[in-house]
Amino acid sequence: MKIPEDFIYYLSLHEDCNERLLARAEGLTAGDVEVSQHLEVARIKKMVYAVMGEVHRMKAFVRLSFLGTSVLYGFFKPRHKIGEHICDHFARRNAGIIVVLGNGRESWISIFREDRIWQDHCQGLSETLERLKSALHCSEDGSNVEGLWQVYYDSQYCPERKNLVAFRRYMPRRDQEAAGIRLVQNKKNATLGEFLGESEGCTEK
Amino acid sequence: MVTLEKIAHLAEECRFDSMGPAASPAVLGVDAEKLSTLGEGTRHDVCASTFSPRETPLPGICHAFTQDGRCVTLFKTLYTNHCTHQCSYCTNSVNCSSKARAFSYTPEELAKITLSLYRSNYIEGLFLSSGAGRDEDRIMDKIVETARLLRQKFAFSGYIHLKILPGSARAHIQEAVELADRVSINLEAVSASHMNEMCATKNYESDILQRQRYIRDILSKASSANLPAGQTTQLVVGAAGESDEDIFERVLYEYKEIGVRRAYYSAFSPQRGTPFENRKSQPLWREHRLYQMDWLFRVYHFQPGEIRHAFNENGYLCNADPKMAIARVFMDLPLDPNTAEFRELLRVPGIGPRSAQRIVAFRKRQPIAVKAELAAMGVRIKRAAPFLKINGWRDTTLEMWQA
Repeated sequence: MKIPEDFIYYLSLHEDCNERLLARAEGLTAGDVEVSQHLEVARIKKMVYAVMGEVHRMKAFVRLSFLGTSVLYGFFKPRHKIGEHICDHFARRNAGIIVVLGNGRESWISIFREDRIWQDHCQGLSETLERLKSALHCSEDGSNVEGLWQVYYDSQYCPERKNLVAFRRYMPRRDQEAAGIRLVQNKKNATLGEFLGESEGCTEK
Repeated sequence: MVTLEKIAHLAEECRFDSMGPAASPAVLGVDAEKLSTLGEGTRHDVCASTFSPRETPLPGICHAFTQDGRCVTLFKTLYTNHCTHQCSYCTNSVNCSSKARAFSYTPEELAKITLSLYRSNYIEGLFLSSGAGRDEDRIMDKIVETARLLRQKFAFSGYIHLKILPGSARAHIQEAVELADRVSINLEAVSASHMNEMCATKNYESDILQRQRYIRDILSKASSANLPAGQTTQLVVGAAGESDEDIFERVLYEYKEIGVRRAYYSAFSPQRGTPFENRKSQPLWREHRLYQMDWLFRVYHFQPGEIRHAFNENGYLCNADPKMAIARVFMDLPLDPNTAEFRELLRVPGIGPRSAQRIVAFRKRQPIAVKAELAAMGVRIKRAAPFLKINGWRDTTLEMWQA
């Protein structure tokens, strides 16, 4: 990853960011942060990378479901303060559709229309969805996209290339939990050990 | 911030200006066996990234990984697994004794599945390949129609990679180029004679190379908005006894003459029921070393003459980093990271483009004094140290000669 020009924005989204660190970062350029080996700048760099990493993985791993035809919602519990940022990303990707992301405590809601984002920050996800159901007079979508995906996902696995080390490195369990997913190959036939991520009987590389 | 009720009102209003008539297309009743069989047909096809340098670039995002460590980022499927070719390594060929039942999608069905998976954020787009069916032009027509439905009817803005079937008509290739982010035609073999051994029904020159030239020629006349992610190709490694040097020479031709954006390698693994069932599978490290060789040429800009030193007398790469083998031949004197040029730094094992850029930026502010500073810039010290001297001091060179 490369430190972006707007790294202060990412720094401000870090769970441990404070006014003093932001003030320290104000005087730095992206190039400074990239190569400086000063302890505090290295810390800023680490924090920026942490936020960028979580943003990237949540854009990849959060799954959305339809509520009626005009709402997409998904579970999402990030470590950093990226809720609004990620919700806006999905709203732009699905113009004209309300996107709701959230968990038991809070939720973010966005819609992208006519080149403009409209957003709100609400209570828990289920409460927000109930309010939307009554406002839009809609209900859960009947299609089983998750089932479709599971069949397709299993079809892509090459057993002769089994490599659980790479799988766990690229899909850390912590990020799967934050995005509310649990990837298991051949879910229907999976053993409890496989579901828990044990490697018994596997040839790891 | 606006209220939730205002947002709901906005959504009601824009039912007519969102993604077209099937904003939430129902994909009920898709046959799971069909989905699975046609998906399995593309397991060995590789498309590593969905980055597309459009006017607003599409990012490369991996939405999942399978337990083999490879990313699942596109809905990668065959249009049909019915095929009249006799490829000896393929489970869909006519001479495979354990063929799966033949299935086929309709363009509408495929477009709806793609859109549903895309909306739910499982994928970034579609990778559509196919068996040749009875007539490759008919199947190409369906492939193009699927892409057209997605782009025009459903206003789909995700990534589309279309496979061009061997022997396809130029008109179909032209349409595919206009609709897709990337197209590719698999070389599979390195030469006509190797292709004859692998598949007697494909003409290497006219069915494959000539179609690649069509794509190149169409692109040379098209606007830059067409096919932003370019043309690629893929080879089966080791099915017909070709050496790594044979592969390298073919890939050089592809990069220089055809202008492919990149080549992909897939180590041969014998499939049940195929004529090549009893052939030896190729080690995955061979595929990995070929990718390293490929990067040395494409990303590190090594000269072909330098890369050829990485092959042994039989034309194979050994299971070690080819960059190290080349450095041992060409780097007689250690390099001072405080004075070396960027391209010289790139030749040091353990230093990549990003760390080389950081070294150049760092030394403008202060000289590099110790190895730990290099390590903090991402340099892999154990590999790089034997080729570097910092402030006139050099590590032992013993490591240079270790495997």
